[in-house]
Formats: sequence, structure tokens, C-alpha cells
Amino acid sequence: MNKTKPCPEYTARLETARELLNRVREEINKGKLIRQNLVWLELTGCSGNIISLLNGSNPDFKYLISQMTNFMYDNSLMAAEGEKAMEQLMGIYGKEYILAVEGAVATKNNGMYNIIGRWKGKPVTALNVIKMFGEKASHVIALGACASHGGVSAAKPNPSDSVGVQSILKRKVIKLPGCPCHPDWFMGTLAHILLYGEPELDNKDRPVLFYSTLIHDRCPRRSYFDKGIFAQKLGEKTCMFKLGCRGPVTYIDCPIRKWNQYVNWPIEDDTPCIGCAQFGFPDKMEPFITYNTTREVKE
Amino acid sequence: MTKRIVINPVTRISGFMEIDATIDNNAVTDVKTEGLLFRGFEKMLEGRNPFDAVYFTQRICGICSTAHSVAATMALESAMGIVPGEQGRYLRDILHGCEFLQNHIRHFYQYTIPDFVRLPDKYPLYVTEHNDFRLPEGKNENIVKNYFLSLDISRSAHEMLAVLGGKAPHNHGVFIGGITTQATTDKIIKIKSILLSIRQFIENRMIPDAYTIAGYYKDYFKNGRGYGNLLSYGCFNKYTELGTLYVDPLVYTQGNISVFNPDEITQEIDYSWYKSQTNEYKPTGATAEADMDKSKAYSWVKAPRYRGIPYEVGPLARQWLSGEYRNGISTMDRTIARVLEARKIAEVMGILIENLIPGVSVQKQYTIPDASEGAGLIDTTRGALGHWLKIENGNISRYQLITPSGWNLSARGNNNLRGTAEQALMNTKITDFDNPVELGRIIRSFDPCVSCATHVYSMGKCVKTIQVMP
Repeated sequence: MNKTKPCPEYTARLETARELLNRVREEINKGKLIRQNLVWLELTGCSGNIISLLNGSNPDFKYLISQMTNFMYDNSLMAAEGEKAMEQLMGIYGKEYILAVEGAVATKNNGMYNIIGRWKGKPVTALNVIKMFGEKASHVIALGACASHGGVSAAKPNPSDSVGVQSILKRKVIKLPGCPCHPDWFMGTLAHILLYGEPELDNKDRPVLFYSTLIHDRCPRRSYFDKGIFAQKLGEKTCMFKLGCRGPVTYIDCPIRKWNQYVNWPIEDDTPCIGCAQFGFPDKMEPFITYNTTREVKE
Repeated sequence: MTKRIVINPVTRISGFMEIDATIDNNAVTDVKTEGLLFRGFEKMLEGRNPFDAVYFTQRICGICSTAHSVAATMALESAMGIVPGEQGRYLRDILHGCEFLQNHIRHFYQYTIPDFVRLPDKYPLYVTEHNDFRLPEGKNENIVKNYFLSLDISRSAHEMLAVLGGKAPHNHGVFIGGITTQATTDKIIKIKSILLSIRQFIENRMIPDAYTIAGYYKDYFKNGRGYGNLLSYGCFNKYTELGTLYVDPLVYTQGNISVFNPDEITQEIDYSWYKSQTNEYKPTGATAEADMDKSKAYSWVKAPRYRGIPYEVGPLARQWLSGEYRNGISTMDRTIARVLEARKIAEVMGILIENLIPGVSVQKQYTIPDASEGAGLIDTTRGALGHWLKIENGNISRYQLITPSGWNLSARGNNNLRGTAEQALMNTKITDFDNPVELGRIIRSFDPCVSCATHVYSMGKCVKTIQVMP
């Protein structure tokens, strides 16, 4: 097993997740790797991360549920419903599992703003379930902006008093911010856990594999920024810094990874980056689009 | 003997809801549908930059985010007095069509199929205990194959969206005037190619699969009817040169079709936890405040009404109003209308793509007015979606949303009439109390999105505890 760290540019390449997954496949075939239980909890959010996960390819969702893990629970996709669904969830408690969480945790009114099911007649809140399953998991992966730091669910004035998963749990939470989370960021992180354990994380607990470099530093329009050539409206092909682009403060690999079978990403679509993968999104990244600014970069 | 059945979570929908049904003599005699997720988007939007609404409101829902970007953009255009050009509309509507396809394919295979088809239970995700699976083994197996194949096809619908919209979900393309970027020849060809494979899948697998299921579950043509009132704000319609390619704004009431009038929409809150000066208000007026002390209220979802009456919105409403499908109004008719609509949307997209002129930029430098109001009303995947916004001092001062699932999953209104889905659940015969599959099947035929339905601001309250009781 090769544990030396290749350079970040290399590891961040498009193939990263795929290569890790190929290793997982090999190890499973060799009988060296045991498929682990995976619980996917949807909490206070929009279910956009499970939808984004379905957009994954090589590895895809079928591979995840059939080869990589025992995918035990997900509100959006499971066949069981009601009490039977909750039995399935509660049956995992006490066993070994990896926990993937999307959505923030609504804390207002003792968590009653988000009830995810009913167990033995009593409502189970997002707050209950994350406390119960978060502390006992072998690893907790927070997917998307809401789970990572509250995200849009916690946007001001935050009517549901939503917080990120870390605020509830006194343990390490691996964070994959982004709105939504790219399927590769999750699949790559999960594959790394299955093969080598926890991936290297930065000081905000994001895998350096994906979050090590600013969008701005790999932006194909960087030369326009350096020459001071700025777009005046959307649709132009020059630097969109003055339209509100948050590429200069956002650490993520969108410029080289791209989205949805790697066909496109916001800047190639002639719109500014809105900083969805950065902590503080959305409030600290607004306004997303502006036509009347002479702005400066502030980290 | 009176029994109570509580289903929570209702899985395979977007968001969280509970069905609370009272059963007498094996039939539903009373029922409530409750949404159990609150974030408060209308309040969050106050004070923000109006342009940001396009991106911000998409986060209401991860499965129908494009819908919100379209409605928010239309509300802004209306407030700013901007009429998008035809090329801009074509481009935007193509993006919107991609989302329809992604949604319909995922809803039919990932959300509906597990109710009727036995999936491989070697995967924990597909374990279920009910036994009402009626398909012979060969047919069952064939649909299971298509279930897994559909993962690739629905994914490619989002890929198609991203070609012109940057990414999906939560696209970056839809904006004032149409979309942000231009359709180049290579992009047009790419979209055409993906669309062709999706059309073939819909035609050769999805529609036959729906009819196969319908053949073995004929009783589902007889339940889940509801009121039979249908409504659409219109979509893919009134193009200057192409005319209406799908459906105009229409309503169907007591067997009669008439033209839809947006001024007739109200929200009623007698049975919802809100207060305002009157218990009925317009989407252009002040929003209601939370009031959890109303004894008869039982839901966070308000009751949108048209001329005081509940309406069903969604694929069946549109297929019916446009004359494409008029077999009936029921659980199974909704499912068939959805797959037939997928074919229709793909056909409309084909026409729009043929009319694209490569390289047209529809973007300008826009100025936000100091004060204005606007509304964006459009039919999206799950039905009629409306955004109403008010701008003061250059910022959003009021934002109101009425979502398709608000219409379909509403609480009772002021006149005590049940919401659309509640009415559809009434009188349903329950065969096995331990596995009341009928209720979930009926609810899912509406493709509910609770993330959307309960976006509104509200104070919390302890939800009562109810158990199944003899």
C-alpha cells in the first residue's frame, strides 16, 4: 500500500476519486477489505446532496451500494417507510458504521423544527438523531454547506437556529462544504477512509485532496485578472471579479474537476463563483451578482 | 373498530412528512398530512440583493432547484419591466426541460418503483416487509434492470442541464433575459445527442414499464382521486413564433375548463399555525405571522386556494388541461401522466433546440430599481410555482412563495375543505394494517416536495405523539 503523499496538483486531478475507488475494488476482490455499513442522514436542508450523489459516475451510486458499502439508510431512496424505516435505522445502533450527513441541525424549540421520523410513538428530531448516531460512528462525513457549517439553512436571520454538525458533536467531523457536494468529493473521501483511514485534512477539517487550492489560482480567466480586464456583465469571457466572483477566497477544485460528467462549471458558464464551497456561504459570500462595484479582495 | 395509522417518515419524497390517518371499517375516514421541516426562506430573503434570489431560492429544494431559479428570474423580470427575447426564453426553457426529465425519471424509478416492484433485497436499501408485489418474476426483473439503468439516464438529464447551466443541482445559468451563457454549436449538438438517448429510454422502457405496473395494479385507477379540480400556470407556452408547445394557464373545475386568473389566488390559514389581519390573504400582501396557539390548527403548510377551492397541480393537471391525457384522475393516472409528460417535454425540447441560433448573447447590464414589485408564475415539474417579490431601497423587502406541494399538500382551508392530497387519501381501503402501502402510494403519486412546501417562516411547537392504537 503506497502511503506517500503525491503533490497536491496531482492528487487533485480528476482521476483521484476514481483511482481510489479502483483500489477499493481491488482490495475487496482480494478479500482484504470488508465492506462497511454506511448510514446517510438527511437533516435540515434541501436533499440536494443525495441528488448530487446520484449524479456521480465512475464510481456511481450502484457501485456504492453494491460493491463499496452496505448502504443502510437514506430517507430519499429506501424502500421501507414509516416505522419499518425507523426500525432499519435503529437496528444499526451499536454496530460499526460510517455516518454521512447532509443538512444542518435545526436546534430551535428543542429541535422540533425538523422531525425526521417517529420511533415508538415519539418524534425523532434531527437534533436527536445526530447526537445519537454521530458520537458512535467510526467516521462522520458532513456533506454540503448546511452540514459543514449551517449553510443556507442557517442564513440570517436563521429562523430555525440551524447549525452545522460540528456544533453538536464533540468529535472529529470531516467536512465537505459546497452547495451541493460534488459526488467525487464524497466518493473519494469515503474510498480513502475504506483504504487508508481518514484522509489528510486542513485546519478546517476538509480533505486537502479536494480543498487545497483557491479557485482563483487555477481559474482559466486568471490572466484577465492579472491584466485588469474585467467583465461588465454576465456572459462575457473575461474576469468576473467585479461582478462579485468569490473565486479569490474559495478553496476547491472546480476549475479542474467541473460538474456533471465533468462538462461545465459556473465560471465556464459565464457567471461568477458564488463561493458555495467556502465557509460562511451564503451570508459572507453575498451579494452573488453585482453590477456596481469596485471591490477589493478580502480573505 | 377505529384505528389510527401514522406513517413517519414517508420515505422517497423530498423532505419530511407524516401521514396521520383514522381508519373505520378498513377505510380512511379522516386524515392529516403534516410537513416536518422548517427553515424560513421568506424571512431569510428579506434585505438581500434582489439578483441573489435566483441563486438563493434554488436552495429551497435540491431536486427542483431549476424551477425556483426560473420563477425567481421571472419575478425579477416582472419587477424590472424586462421582457426576455425569444432566444432567451428558448434557452431558459431548455434548461427547465432538463430538470423536468431528471425529476420524472428519478421520481418514477427511484421513488415510485419500490412501491410496486420487488427490488433486490441483498441491498439493505431495498429491504421492505410488505408483500403486495404482484408482477410475475420476469416482468419484475425487467423493471429492476431499468431501475438501475435509469440512474445513468437521469444523471445524463442533469449533465444536459449543466452543459448550458454550469452545474446541477443549483444551476448557474438561469438569469434575467434567459440564461447567462450562449449556445454554441458544439453545446447544441451535445444536448441533442443526450436528449435522443433520453427520449429512447422514455419511449422504450419508462412508458412500457408504467403500463406494465398499471396492468397489475388496476385497483389504483380507482383510488386517490381527490376533488378532481386541476390547475396550471402554463409552461412552454405563448412563444411569439412557436405559439404554445405544451399548456396554457388554465383551470378545470367540475368538468369545465376556464382561463386562469392570478388575482384569484389566496392563502388561507384557519387550520395552519399562522395569524394575519384576516385569515385569508393575497400573495402580494403582508405575510402571516406565526401563531401556535390556534387550537384547531394542525399544520405548518398553509392552504393555497383558487376562488376559495383546493386544486391539484402537476403532470396529470397539465396533461388533462392540454388534452394530452384524459383517462381519469387517480393514483395510477397520475403515474401514467408523469411518464407521458416526460415524452412530451422531450418532444418540446427538441423543437426549442431546433430553433436555437448559436452564439446569441442575451445578457445586459441590469439596474435594480429602488422600489418595485413583481411576480413569477410558472408550471414546474411538480406543478404551479409562484414567486412574488417586493423591492424597497434596492433590496428585497418582501418575498412570498407558493409551491406546487403547497397546493397538493395543503392543510384544510377556512371553509373546512381538506387539502388536495388529504382528500385523495379519504375513503382509501386499507388491506393490511401493519403495512398500509396504499397511503404511501397515493401520497407519492403527487411527487410531494416537503422541502418546498414548508419553506415558510413559523414558530415551532411540540408535535403531538400518536401511536397506532386499537
